[in-house]
Amino acid sequence: MSSHEAVVRITDAEERIVHWVLAASCLFCLFTGLGLQFQAWDFIPIILGGYYATKLMHIYSGIVFAGMLLYALYIWKKDCTFEEADLQWVLKAGGYLWPVKDLPPVYKYNAGQKAFFWILIVCGAIIVVSGFVMWLWNPLSVPAIIARLSYMAHAGAVVLLVAFIVVHIYLGTIGNPGTASAMFSGEVTRSWCKTHCPRWLEDREKKEA
Amino acid sequence: MKTHEYVKLIDLSRCTACRGCQVACKQWNEMPASKTRQHGTYQNPQDLEWNTWTLIRFQEHVDKEGTLRWLFRKDGCMHCTDAACVKSCPTGALHYTELGTVSLNQDACIGCKACVAACPFDIPRYNEANEKVYKCDLCYTRLMAGEKPACVLSCPTGALTIGEKDAMIKKAYDRVKELGGDANVYGDKFVKSTHVIYVLTEKPEVYDELPTNPSVPFSVILWKNLFKPFTLIGLGAVAGMAGLHYLIKGPHKIHEEKEGGQ
Repeated sequence: MSSHEAVVRITDAEERIVHWVLAASCLFCLFTGLGLQFQAWDFIPIILGGYYATKLMHIYSGIVFAGMLLYALYIWKKDCTFEEADLQWVLKAGGYLWPVKDLPPVYKYNAGQKAFFWILIVCGAIIVVSGFVMWLWNPLSVPAIIARLSYMAHAGAVVLLVAFIVVHIYLGTIGNPGTASAMFSGEVTRSWCKTHCPRWLEDREKKEA
Repeated sequence: MKTHEYVKLIDLSRCTACRGCQVACKQWNEMPASKTRQHGTYQNPQDLEWNTWTLIRFQEHVDKEGTLRWLFRKDGCMHCTDAACVKSCPTGALHYTELGTVSLNQDACIGCKACVAACPFDIPRYNEANEKVYKCDLCYTRLMAGEKPACVLSCPTGALTIGEKDAMIKKAYDRVKELGGDANVYGDKFVKSTHVIYVLTEKPEVYDELPTNPSVPFSVILWKNLFKPFTLIGLGAVAGMAGLHYLIKGPHKIHEEKEGGQ
């Protein structure tokens, strides 16, 4: 009987590939971007073969990031649409900060995960659009103010996104033991599902029955 | 350490727009000429280019009495003390020299165009063919050899002179006093003083393409003074908070599965 299986498949291969290509391109962009931002960290352009090579890698990795961002929006936007119960979840901080009773049962993703997804989409979109302007703007036809705002917005959106990525990594690994396997093998334990996505598990087992 | 701090003075009241400086600049820096078109003005080319680091602007100006006057202005890098281009350059290609001027190490330029966007005077020019930026370096090598910049050497009227900063600023104010009227000194009152200073015969707002109150753009300050450090401060702060959460609250526990499901 499926309802008694010890592990549940929670992500498919497509989701895991999109997640990891997005993550790798994002982190490589961050790495090269830090090298281009902080002259004190010139070990980054040095190991990558110079500043010009670092710029090119940053751009190419950024193109992969842009494509994967769109793919992520396509496959996860439905799972990450907010619902009314999410407000209650947010008001109780998901039970992460103080003891909480009657947390509204979560479907696939909780309000925090959904919020991270939309911050990624919005910051990512700002970074991608401003990045394309910085790369391709022609000073003869584009007003300097557009370019100026792009360089600024690019750096500003990164500040926010980087902070949330740290939270994402923490909560996806040691902050929630048993979670990380969702993005490796794609499987989590049934008891993990009962804690983190009870309504989704119920639905799934009903369908399978 | 600045051994000498030089200032180039452009006294527009003495400029006859012979464009000797424009030619001398090209010749000394071995910059090719561009094919240009007649646009009904002696201003040629129409704007600064990657291969044109200085340009005489020809402006037809009608003054308050209705008299048509011709204004000439030698445009080019102002060599700011607080330079937006240096601040925005990721590689250090743009840098301050020991003379107070701003030089550009072409080999280190990666063509990111951040300086082109940042410059309040709209000076750096991007060459798409080799993805490099170009601008005047106030003839750094000539200055270091004790020579005048090519433009100053070529000037037949004394409109262009160069010397120690304090002496040149005093010279500019003396000249303004002599000229009277709307004449004024332009350059010593913003971006912590430029190393190219004008004696303008008209108020700054009269001149085309001349900002009245230039400064390092706010967007550049926000980017470099706030966002840049906060990339790391934010990352560190959030990582620290996550660590504290782990130590104080501990990892999130999974509810024990009860026998028989819900």
